[in-house]
Amino acid sequence: MNTINGYLAVGAILFTLGGIGFLTRRNLILMILSAELMLHGVSLTLTTFSKLHGNNEGQVFTIFILTVAACEAGLALSLILNLYQKSRSLNIDLWSLFHESDLPDPLSPEERAPRPLPESTYENLPKLTPAGRPLELSRGDRKETATNV
Amino acid sequence: MNIILDHWHLLLPLLLGALAVWWLMPVGYQRPRIVGALAGIGALVVLADILTPKSLAAEAAVETVLFYVFALGAIGSAALMVTSSNPVYGALWFALTTLSVCGLFVLQDAPFLAASTIVVYAGAIIVTFLFVIMLAQQAGATNYDGRSRHPVGATFMAFILLGTMLYGLQLAGKDVERIGKNGPSATMSRVTGTRSELTVPAVVDGNAAPVGTLHGLGRALFGDYLFAVEMAGTLLLVASIGAIAMAPRRAQGTL
Repeated sequence: MNTINGYLAVGAILFTLGGIGFLTRRNLILMILSAELMLHGVSLTLTTFSKLHGNNEGQVFTIFILTVAACEAGLALSLILNLYQKSRSLNIDLWSLFHESDLPDPLSPEERAPRPLPESTYENLPKLTPAGRPLELSRGDRKETATNV
Repeated sequence: MNIILDHWHLLLPLLLGALAVWWLMPVGYQRPRIVGALAGIGALVVLADILTPKSLAAEAAVETVLFYVFALGAIGSAALMVTSSNPVYGALWFALTTLSVCGLFVLQDAPFLAASTIVVYAGAIIVTFLFVIMLAQQAGATNYDGRSRHPVGATFMAFILLGTMLYGLQLAGKDVERIGKNGPSATMSRVTGTRSELTVPAVVDGNAAPVGTLHGLGRALFGDYLFAVEMAGTLLLVASIGAIAMAPRRAQGTL
């Protein structure tokens, strides 16, 4: 019964907790930190494999994970600062307007937090290009094309 | 029913752990945190009973004690980080998780990795995150930090994933144990067989460098993985250029 390698178990638990954090938190920074927690779990697993196999490959791979994590943190922080300057909030729900225009809103109206800036600010933000449609059509034209096809 | 009875030692800590994480999640009103703490401690105690090796040699006892200290620190502060309703506390709990994981790295013969992880994570990433939190945080508690999104579903799915992972680890451990019973040589040949399949030898001359030393790691990194190191350097360059390009800038002439 007691055959689980403890280090691998801790790595799996850290990975799971990071996943829970990524799914449940609404704060942009805490979501990124949860992703880093998942990377910690994977690093621990790779280091354990390195010891079990008696070679350095796992540790080398962990160093590359460290590199990618540093890149990710830098890019994520500049992105978060950019989004914060646009919306004055770290709430991830404010950015659910990136969904495609003909799909239902992922948030119910009572779930949606009030937007801190006037609505006109959000109208000028970039929109996701609808998939499988011509690009240059305006909103009304697109609806017409959809019904024709 | 038999399945549940056979695997109670895995199911019980999973259930208790899921209960603890779900209970500690911020929901908008205050719950007594002691319930979650007790459930979490119970889960860890049952799990520790599974993980304890049967025979404790004298020199292995110290490592086992250290492992429990660091594992408890890592798991406990990770759970508190995920469930804390204040992002500053979340970042500080994450720093504690990083330190504990680095302790586990040292136990796994990776001292260089432990040092570099502390430098990169606790020294650079956490501090930068704290700066951003302090730049961007409004005064007082925010409503989006106080309510978690779909806590039941997320916890349920994540602990199902954890259960499958632990069960897989258990099966793999049984496999290794069965091979180990045929004699230590069988285990050795299996390990080295896997090694020769998977890897390029790190050291060209016959005397292999020990695992995790600076010598061995440097030979592997700058010998076998030189191109990957160059790629990683390019990635860092591109990422820093991208971060500078994306960062919000002020009007010209102002600081």
